[in-house]
Amino acid sequence: MTLAASSWSLIWANRDVLLHGLVRTLEASAVAIVGVAVIGVVLGAARAYRVPVASQIAAVYVEVVRNTPILVQVFFIYFALPQVPWVGVRVDEFTAVCLGLMFWGGGFNIENFRAGFEAVPQRYREAGLALGFGGAAIFRYVVFPIGGRIAIPPSINTYIAVLKNTAIAGPAVGFAELTQVAYGIIEASLRTYTVFAVIGVVYLLIVWTLSALIRLLESRLALPEARR
Amino acid sequence: MKRTAFATGAAALVAAALAAWSTAATSGIAAPAGPRAAKKLPPLPAAIKQRKKWVVGVKCDTPPFGYIDLKGHNAGYDVEIARWFSRFAFGKANRVSYTCVTTATRIPALTSGKIDLILATMTYTHARAQTVDFSTPYYVATGRMLVPNGSSLRIGSISGKTITTTGGSVYDRWLSKCFKNTSSLLFQSPSLALAALKEGRADAEMFDDSFLLGVATSDPSLRLTPDKFLKLPWGIGIVKGNKAMKRWVDSRLAILKKKNQFSKILKQNVNPTLFDAFKGNVPAPKRTLKYPATEEQELACP
Amino acid sequence: MLAFLPYWVEPVARYMVTEGLKVTAQIAGVAVLFSGVAGILLGTLLTIRWWPLRSLIRLYIEIWRGLPLIVTIFLVYYALPAFGIDIQPWLAAAVALTLWGSAQIAEATRGAVESIPREQHEAAAALGFGWLGRHTFVIVPQAFRRLLPPLVSLLVNVIQNTTLAALIGVGELLTTGRQQIETLLFPPPVGTGQDHSLAILGAVLITFFVISFPLTRLAAYLERRLV
Repeated sequence: MTLAASSWSLIWANRDVLLHGLVRTLEASAVAIVGVAVIGVVLGAARAYRVPVASQIAAVYVEVVRNTPILVQVFFIYFALPQVPWVGVRVDEFTAVCLGLMFWGGGFNIENFRAGFEAVPQRYREAGLALGFGGAAIFRYVVFPIGGRIAIPPSINTYIAVLKNTAIAGPAVGFAELTQVAYGIIEASLRTYTVFAVIGVVYLLIVWTLSALIRLLESRLALPEARR
Repeated sequence: MKRTAFATGAAALVAAALAAWSTAATSGIAAPAGPRAAKKLPPLPAAIKQRKKWVVGVKCDTPPFGYIDLKGHNAGYDVEIARWFSRFAFGKANRVSYTCVTTATRIPALTSGKIDLILATMTYTHARAQTVDFSTPYYVATGRMLVPNGSSLRIGSISGKTITTTGGSVYDRWLSKCFKNTSSLLFQSPSLALAALKEGRADAEMFDDSFLLGVATSDPSLRLTPDKFLKLPWGIGIVKGNKAMKRWVDSRLAILKKKNQFSKILKQNVNPTLFDAFKGNVPAPKRTLKYPATEEQELACP
Repeated sequence: MLAFLPYWVEPVARYMVTEGLKVTAQIAGVAVLFSGVAGILLGTLLTIRWWPLRSLIRLYIEIWRGLPLIVTIFLVYYALPAFGIDIQPWLAAAVALTLWGSAQIAEATRGAVESIPREQHEAAAALGFGWLGRHTFVIVPQAFRRLLPPLVSLLVNVIQNTTLAALIGVGELLTTGRQQIETLLFPPPVGTGQDHSLAILGAVLITFFVISFPLTRLAAYLERRLV
């Protein structure tokens, strides 16, 4: 295809912008992932321990996130949230992306950590009791470290999904992460899809590397008896 | 006596028929063009004639030019022009199929053959004229500035201020070119820029009169400055090189202009207050719109 | 109708349901159907111990599951015309969703088919079935039970991801909502002169929830009962 030569030169000419886009993708992902991790641990523990009120709110939150599209969640936060009485606040694009991703990812991560905490075998907890630990100490020294370890592989899956979903949140609000930048390039040049193929490769590399990381960790992180 | 009355009546009828016939011929509605008909109009391009339908790209989120009304039908100034084209071509207003386009998708839709014409608030730029052919202008938007009610800001005094508008728009480029010591706060849509203005994050918003006038009308806390800048004529997008189409479109636009139809179309789509403000933007028997001659003139500094 | 609601609610709601929701259902229906068919086929083929075929299918799965779905949609929508294939935007979205969905189902099918005990294969072979015959009539029908939960989950995911088609201009539910928000924003007689984003986006959220929640519960139920 004669387009091929000019497509590559177009990508090369825009390499700065694309690189900036990638950096922003990573920035937004990093911020969102921290939030998702915190939400997952805190509310996951609330669910696992059946903390009244917090547990129910978390349950509803999880169901809402799982049953509504992420794009609508992001639009809601960016366009509609400002109109909500009292809590309404208008946020800029970067914040909207981070909040949207945190909201979405948090819902899934709660389940990861809830399952992790609940999967800690009973006898570990009993051992803690035998050692004279109270409830809080058992959580800190037994349930959290062990349950957290169990929860790491599925939660990394969620973090990877958060990174992939920056590609949705970006174009939705006009935040210049990698996909939005690519979209801007083809808008201006009125042709060439090659740039999408290129950023596709970038995403695949990131996602595959992280997934390989999980597989490596999975065997290391399993509980001692599971390894046998 | 009866015979004269009869003769007069018959003559009147014949005269009326002739008048109707020639009017029908000049407006291009399917009527046998006899030797007494007005000068020949460019014929409908064969592809459209064969399909018996227009496929037109319009905006679906930009009132009052292209939007979906509350009943779910395409409506607006641009859409009405498309309906007129349908009447000219086929005698009925409904031989049009509308495709929703956005600023980003309208030109690719035309060049890939998905639509016959772009009737989607497309401003003429020399850059775009390289890829598509433009009809004669059918509307001209003016740039306006929206400020909070107590502000006395004018275009001459915006130095050092923060102006908000949409990214990549002609206002964005004009500000960078002509007002280097203002800071621009850019957003994806004019509604978002408006929100920033209302929150005090900017001193003024610059955008098309079509959008800002609507806002100023409904929001008492904001007002438009008297400044008018940048003439932005809109044209119908035609596939490059399709001379037959351009001749047809231009000729029919000329007819609408002569019959002052553009004013009537505008009136159908805006309330009287807004109509007074916009009526100078449409072609009329005594008003011909023109494109800027050079790229320089597109973004002429004041 | 409900007289206390503003005049614009009924026509807007009707338009969003009859046009927007219709397109959403169209895209989701096509995508799930072909994802199921292609996915089951690919997943079954994945169990054949011939590494070239397995590697190819594995590559297919890893690509379409690894890419962000929106990038796939953009790729399909912008790349196909370059190869001369010209399809409507909604169909491009459906194709992209099918690529993604079939990758998910293929993975699930592989697991389900491999979980069928050897005895079934041996019994079928003893009855004179070849590879194709025994898979078609014995193995896959049994594996299908295990596939119901992931298929229902896929349906939910696809329905929600039809909203991504909004970013290529398809008139599905979310897009129709946003169009009406713009219309209502303009002063009368066109609209109301007010911003109704909260109400309309809220309604879209609720609609998706009402559709998805029972299906999610169904998938969980099937997971418990059938697996």
